[in-house]
Amino acid sequence: MYTGRKIIHIDMDAFYASVEQRDDPRLQGRPVAVGGSGNRGVVASASYEARRYGVRSAMPSLTAQRMCPDLIFVKSRFDVYREVSGQIRDIFHRFTDLVEPLSLDEAYLDVTDNKIDMPSATIIAEKIRSLILEETALTASAGVSFNKFLAKIASDINKPNGIKVITPGEALPFLEKLPIGKFHGIGKVTARKMNDMSIFTGADLKKWTEIDLVRRFGKVGRHYFRIVRADDYREVNPNRIRKSIGAERTYKEDLTEITAMKEKLTYLAGVVHAYMAKADNYGRTVTIKIKSSDFKIITRSRSFQQEVRQLDDLVQITHDLLENNQEEIDRVRLLGVSISNLMREHDGLGIQLEFDF
Amino acid sequence: MKFSVSSSELLKYLQVVGGAIASNPVLPIMEDFLFTISDNQLTIAATDLETSITTSIEVMADSDGMVAIPAKILLETLKALPEQPITFNINDENFGIEITSAFGKYRLAGENGQDFPRIPEPDTVDTVTVAASTIGQGITKTLFATSNDELRPAMTGVYFQIDFGKIIMVATDAHKLVKYTFSDVSSEVSTSFIVPKKALNLLKNALPGGGEVKMSFNKSNAFFSFENTNLVCRLIDSRYPDYNAVIPVDNPNILSVSRTDFQNSLKRIAIYANKTTNQVILNINDGSLTISAQDLDFSNEATEQLACTYDGDQLDIGFNAKFLIEMLGVLESDEVKMELATASRAGILLPVDEVDGEEILMLVMPVMLSN
Repeated sequence: MYTGRKIIHIDMDAFYASVEQRDDPRLQGRPVAVGGSGNRGVVASASYEARRYGVRSAMPSLTAQRMCPDLIFVKSRFDVYREVSGQIRDIFHRFTDLVEPLSLDEAYLDVTDNKIDMPSATIIAEKIRSLILEETALTASAGVSFNKFLAKIASDINKPNGIKVITPGEALPFLEKLPIGKFHGIGKVTARKMNDMSIFTGADLKKWTEIDLVRRFGKVGRHYFRIVRADDYREVNPNRIRKSIGAERTYKEDLTEITAMKEKLTYLAGVVHAYMAKADNYGRTVTIKIKSSDFKIITRSRSFQQEVRQLDDLVQITHDLLENNQEEIDRVRLLGVSISNLMREHDGLGIQLEFDF
Repeated sequence: MKFSVSSSELLKYLQVVGGAIASNPVLPIMEDFLFTISDNQLTIAATDLETSITTSIEVMADSDGMVAIPAKILLETLKALPEQPITFNINDENFGIEITSAFGKYRLAGENGQDFPRIPEPDTVDTVTVAASTIGQGITKTLFATSNDELRPAMTGVYFQIDFGKIIMVATDAHKLVKYTFSDVSSEVSTSFIVPKKALNLLKNALPGGGEVKMSFNKSNAFFSFENTNLVCRLIDSRYPDYNAVIPVDNPNILSVSRTDFQNSLKRIAIYANKTTNQVILNINDGSLTISAQDLDFSNEATEQLACTYDGDQLDIGFNAKFLIEMLGVLESDEVKMELATASRAGILLPVDEVDGEEILMLVMPVMLSN
């Protein structure tokens, strides 16, 4: 466990929904969801009033509407979110240039050395939060610790509009008590699998050897072994380049009907589309992944000249990919949609032109 | 069969011929040199079926015969020996080879020369004779621009257009293009064909400093003969792109600059360019050329300014620095001229001083800058 660094994770509270509430007084204090309200719509962001009803981002809009009948759907305004995101980034850069944006509304900062020679990362995090409030009228939550993994978990603890510091002395006891599902990177499926192995908290996870975890979970097992010991050496990388954006789901019951598979792909396309919009990063290659009941995995992809930006296009492409490969598909256990060849990957890079032979 | 030969003399020829041997040939015997002795003449051959070279030297032999000798072990042996006469003794029954040097004896297993692939002979062919130095120049100036894209086979070779008194050699990889024309040629024919890159590389290394090269060709092969050496290669059977159509005729913006200054500047700036695209930006104004590059991934950045003569509109244009450096490298003129149109159209690179009897024109496509 290396504790020599000071890392802050800043996460805006219900970012898009808050921006909408800020700009339209009629929305204040009411349940708001940003995203499409139609059949294919997916919630991109939900206000805290809506979250009380169980509305979450990446949820199909129809489900959200059912959970919260008074829910107000607002169309997204990415140009505004992008502008606010830029304001926030400017604030970060007053303290350090080691800023790694994860999306429009969250970022890691390494403030071990910082521009105001402030030894306390907690004070910097508080300054950032108050500057954000002052300059954008929005609230943010902060996590402060000595690595990215802990900072990210911490920012979630006193959300919204809160801060949590995990000191080197607190890290291990904190992780031991932490329910396994709260570990960043352990999703529902893995959590269930761990529960079956009698792993419910960090302390339970810690009892497993690295080799056994790798045996059960593959390469990512090594990651689990490390994070529960607060070992995370990943640096805050201001130039991190994302290669792909994707979503996949494992189904309790195998899918056998093409129409059912299409429905699931429509949903996954919606999730991926919302991620793309959030990251403000679109791609040219669409891939679907199909895992059959006998665990055989096939992936099929198609690339385009231009970035796929419209949700309807993305949905249609995933359906076409499925239909064109119908004969290879029988019982489906998992479906995934991802998009690569992202435009940010090529940021600042020119395109070598060719002769027109 | 037994013969004696100078070790360094033999090595010199083997190294030229050995270039034809493929690294992983389909038949094991193609890892060998074919040695054929006839009337105190040793003919050495190597082939990869596409390209073959033969060359011959005088030896002292007691009889005629042939044998295939593993190339790698023979070359290594000769490289490790100081110059001296060596003797080959070949068992005509089992093709065992014994080499005797002043230091001792080396034995290796050969193979029956009858099993060696047949090398094509010129049959019904047209012939052109050119100076070895001219064809050597032509290869040096074009070969670098060929493509490695096996999906577009035509561009992996150099296009020869023989047109009575002149020969045009063209190479392109769709990003850059060289057209080299020389006119001191005696030919009675008009024809065109594509010669693979490998054959031209071999030819370049084998060409003598002076003398003439006889080029012959039929529908499927080209033959290059000089001194005691013959090179045969299969032509690329594909249609060459219509290169004339992409040469702009009226690029209005003309830049003149010192070739070496321009090249040296590009070499320094390229260090700071993105390693995938090698993109540099030329910012051209009246009287000054600013070359700059940046690599956002590493926060690297560089800028230089050069004196130039410029007649045209202010222009920002991106290029792959590697291409420009290579192209400038094969020109000889002290000053070069770039004829440009817009940031997305092909630029022409020309020498200001032409060499008598030859003409060279290069084209390069820009890198389209984002934002």
